[in-house]
Amino acid sequence: MNHNPHAPETFADRVRNIPGGEHLEMCYSCGTCVSKCMIQQKVEPEYNPRRLLRLVMMEMEEEAYESPTTWLCSGCDLCYPACPQEIHISGVIGAVKSLAVEKGYTSPLDTVSVDESLCSGCAICVMVCPYEAPHLIEKIVDGVNDRFSEVDANRCMGCGICVASCPTGAIAREGVSNTDIVRQIPHEVVKTDAPSLMVFICDWSLRADADLEILESYPENVKVIHIPCSGRIDPQLALLSLRSGISGVLVCGCKSGECHYQRGTDVANCKISMLDRMFDQMDLADGRVRFVQIGTQDRGRIRKEIDQMLLHLTSLQEVC
Amino acid sequence: MANKPKLAFYWAASCGGCEITITELGMRLVDFDEKVDIVFWPCAMDFKYDDVRALDDKEIDVCFFNGAIRNEENEEIAHLLRRKSKVLVAFGACSHLGGIPGLANLSDTESIIQRVYCTTPSLDQTRGTLPQISCKVPEGNICIPEMYDHVKTLAQIEEVDYFMPGCPPVVEQVWSVLQVILAGQLPKVGSTIGADAKTVCDVCPRQKGRSGLRIKEFKRPHEVELDPDTCFLAQGIICCGPATRAGCGLPCISANMPCRGCYGPPEGVVDQGSKLLSAIAALIDTDNPAELQKIMDTIVDPVGTFYRFSLADSILSELKHKRP
Repeated sequence: MNHNPHAPETFADRVRNIPGGEHLEMCYSCGTCVSKCMIQQKVEPEYNPRRLLRLVMMEMEEEAYESPTTWLCSGCDLCYPACPQEIHISGVIGAVKSLAVEKGYTSPLDTVSVDESLCSGCAICVMVCPYEAPHLIEKIVDGVNDRFSEVDANRCMGCGICVASCPTGAIAREGVSNTDIVRQIPHEVVKTDAPSLMVFICDWSLRADADLEILESYPENVKVIHIPCSGRIDPQLALLSLRSGISGVLVCGCKSGECHYQRGTDVANCKISMLDRMFDQMDLADGRVRFVQIGTQDRGRIRKEIDQMLLHLTSLQEVC
Repeated sequence: MANKPKLAFYWAASCGGCEITITELGMRLVDFDEKVDIVFWPCAMDFKYDDVRALDDKEIDVCFFNGAIRNEENEEIAHLLRRKSKVLVAFGACSHLGGIPGLANLSDTESIIQRVYCTTPSLDQTRGTLPQISCKVPEGNICIPEMYDHVKTLAQIEEVDYFMPGCPPVVEQVWSVLQVILAGQLPKVGSTIGADAKTVCDVCPRQKGRSGLRIKEFKRPHEVELDPDTCFLAQGIICCGPATRAGCGLPCISANMPCRGCYGPPEGVVDQGSKLLSAIAALIDTDNPAELQKIMDTIVDPVGTFYRFSLADSILSELKHKRP
């Protein structure tokens, strides 16, 4: 810590002065955070919060701004309860990121963008985003003042919660737009003796490479659509799947509290629970749409969930 | 004038509001009548079905068909009018999406008949009178049309050229569509006419919700004093505006009531209710399953709220009625 009031402000000082950055020096580099981090395990082996904090303390400003750790942290806070020093690591990383943005660095992530010809400016995306990335802007269009959503690409983590919630399909990101996902739903599925199942799976909830192998081991009747977060699920996707003749829909996400995008699991749970209530009102509630939450320790559980769902759907077919 | 366009208006399962919206044209209707020939309008003029049957095929230039398809008669006349008309317009929410009658798809015919003729508290149930499709009387056999198991939209049974949404379509939109027809400037077949492409939020002047605004409890309009300048959703009131096409001129919003969704989904949305559900459920703020149940309890009648006018057109209804 800089105790001399006349000394020039260091990089570490500036990080500490941003709310969230104040716990910087408490880190003694044990690396527990790294062992808990999903990004390190699944996306970027170079990802390392411990090392980033060390870079800041060593005044390696440029290196800190260029580090993937600065940009990839989504604030899931899996590391937070594990840290023996109780450092809110995502807060410190967030402080580094805001300084990086000030310096003109930009996020390397694939982020969402808004099609203004479709956007009605309803602000649903503004309200649902865990990262306060979208905001409304005003523009004069054909002489009339109109409102549109605009996304701050440096805040957006690409979870797709806004894409699923946008009522007009105005927000998209390559690979997770409505058209991209609807295209993967078959138009018509021929009914056979074996029930068919559509699995919408959040890629973060796949706990090991073996989980992916499990998914790929099923025959044709189990179809898998990968989504960036269970919060990307939109009840219309489940309904379109059922309409095509698919017998059931399984949405898989992470456990509440472990969601990579903070609230995606809770959002998916709200949507599927609400859809369930509607099924109930329509006298259709027979468990054909299910949401499961797979914990970080639940390696291989995906097989159990799919098998159980297939058994359930078989029993439904027998009743018919 | 020999070449006046021939128009027809018909009502199937509807409340009559669509007819009223046409009469609301007032004196403009009288002027309009000089430019066109109205060849069929059972609500306002004395025509019989046989008058329509006597017309040549495609003799009617434009037929405005309001009301949902609820029974055999609705369907029979829809087919007849399709045959006799060059252009068939699904006029109003009921023929467009099923409308309020479409909410009957929550139930089935048998339970509806039971409720209406047997268990309604104000009924004299001692006689057990039930409507019969056919009934022998001394003069012969009299029949009523058979009621279907579920309500259908016009497009589910016939080819529709244009959709004109609204419950009812507002009078200024009706007038502008009539002008378009007179000018022979109808857009591409299959289009929605008399409405905007974007949603109600696009034209709603209210202050929209801010970042991180979440909902812990839904309220109904009569339970709170509503701020006339703030988005209803931001006040915890379910408003269908985000998933409803604009074009109505905001009569509900201006009267400080949330949008009910009568203009149907915007361009590109297949299932209005599920898109609205997707938007609104994402605003709920809880990670606790018990609390979620409590919050959902504050949405009384979710199907009737999210699909108020579009249930008959929904995938939900399709799934229910396709079941073996």
